[in-house]
Amino acid sequence: MAEKKLSKKTLSSSFHHWYYGNLTCFTQEHMQTFGYLAAMLPIVEELYSDKEDQKKAMNTYTAFFNTEPQIGSIVVGITAGLEEARANGEDGVTDETINGLRAGLMGPLAGIGDSLIVGTLIPVLLGIALGLSNGGNPLGAIFYIIVWNLLAYFGMRFAYNKGYELGGKAVEVLVGPQGQAIRKAVGVVGGMVIGAVAATWVSVKTSLELKNSSGKVFLSLQKQLDNVYPGLLTAAFIILCWWLMAKKKMSPITVMLLLVVIAFVGVLVGFFDPGLKY
Amino acid sequence: MSISWLQAALLGLFASLASMPGMGGTSIGNYTLGRPLVGGLICGIILGDIKTGILCGVAMQVVYIALVTPGGTVSADVRAISYIGIPLAMVAVKAQGLDPASVKATGLATSMGTLVGTVGTVLFYGTATLNLVWQGIGWKAVEKGDFHKIYTVDFILPWISHILFSFIPTLIMCKLGASAVTALKNALPMDGIAMKTLFTVGALLPCVGIAILLKQIVETAADFIPFFVGFTLAASLGLNLVSAACISLIFAVIYYKLEMIKVERPAVAGGYDDDDEEEEDI
Repeated sequence: MAEKKLSKKTLSSSFHHWYYGNLTCFTQEHMQTFGYLAAMLPIVEELYSDKEDQKKAMNTYTAFFNTEPQIGSIVVGITAGLEEARANGEDGVTDETINGLRAGLMGPLAGIGDSLIVGTLIPVLLGIALGLSNGGNPLGAIFYIIVWNLLAYFGMRFAYNKGYELGGKAVEVLVGPQGQAIRKAVGVVGGMVIGAVAATWVSVKTSLELKNSSGKVFLSLQKQLDNVYPGLLTAAFIILCWWLMAKKKMSPITVMLLLVVIAFVGVLVGFFDPGLKY
Repeated sequence: MSISWLQAALLGLFASLASMPGMGGTSIGNYTLGRPLVGGLICGIILGDIKTGILCGVAMQVVYIALVTPGGTVSADVRAISYIGIPLAMVAVKAQGLDPASVKATGLATSMGTLVGTVGTVLFYGTATLNLVWQGIGWKAVEKGDFHKIYTVDFILPWISHILFSFIPTLIMCKLGASAVTALKNALPMDGIAMKTLFTVGALLPCVGIAILLKQIVETAADFIPFFVGFTLAASLGLNLVSAACISLIFAVIYYKLEMIKVERPAVAGGYDDDDEEEEDI
């Protein structure tokens, strides 16, 4: 019996099913499971001609799956490789090994993907794009559309193919010590760009001023604060929000509601007055 | 500025593509079309005022710069922010006669967009719940071995969920909301407490967005340092974002080298195993 080998075309259609369909039929109950089934179907159909074998193989992928879908391409690639090995009768590739691997990878990869892609790469790209959008310039949005989509498409394709070629070893790069060093280094870029985004695009200002009897301003709180550290009030509010969410475990919505209260009280006592600036 | 039925329908179509989970897929839908900056461009094109669209999109993008949805828990809905919030904010800014580039307009856009985005989470749960029906059909098909139905279930049937929970809500909210927002102008005077609060909230809300990101990055107090260096570069030295990003790269390289030294050290201490370890690294 000739050894079964997945064709380039099948791998490509499997990848594209995942690239497009990983979340299209999302539910709270099964999240990415159907996207996964859609991605595995071309693989299973090419490897097994017998209907019962197909059924058995597809059944493996009915188990719950959810991760950060973009970095998660690597898992789909790995299982494509494993399924090929199983079709060739390789020992030790069973439902349990495949689903054990899937379950074991989806948690860590979700963490890496959420912090590296959604929490760093996208904000950095958006930050740069915001910088290009001055005065309503569409250049920033166009920059983001092009750069992000190229990175996402080819990055996911690369991850899928690496997963297929290297199997479990492909993940070592991500979770190993070198991967961790890269992640931390990227985190520094993320932190600094976000700081610059905050300073450029967030502006919390107070209108509190003390006037003498002739109506001349002798103390402008905003000026005083900016003399200490430009943007001090903005930074203080950001840290306050961080503290409420990270240390007091408040949800973002609760914090937003709290800000509404702070704004209302601030306007009443004259600390905030957006109108005075014009 | 008013919104016609055709324009509202186009916004509805983009809302269907852009949501999480949307019909544009994750990378093109949620992470491209769903980002408020891109939404601002598209709403600007549809409503015929790209400049105002971008400026409203920028205002909202800062709030939602890190919209991470771990495990499918959402605190805001991207389709509502980008394709209901931004169009209505554009109408509101125009109705108030504000210069779209002003801080005031930004504040108004942010408050409106955030409100709509938060209420819009209903749409997310609606879509995800109705998809259960299609998955039910899918499970039956898998059991029977009728595998090609998986494609219908994953790629086509969710459109029905989106017509009900993305297209129609966007169509109606944009069409009817536009006149409501215009009427708001007469109901609430600009110098009243309500409007002042609204604008102030708009200025404060982006702090939450940045803080959500910080929550991701900061584990120890030292992790605040890159953030403040970046903040200082922009606020005190007036560098733009690309310049700040360039400077950050050198720190990233240094940091990476230091981390790798830490990784390699135990191998060096191991003496004769030195060579083996190096091979494994490669």
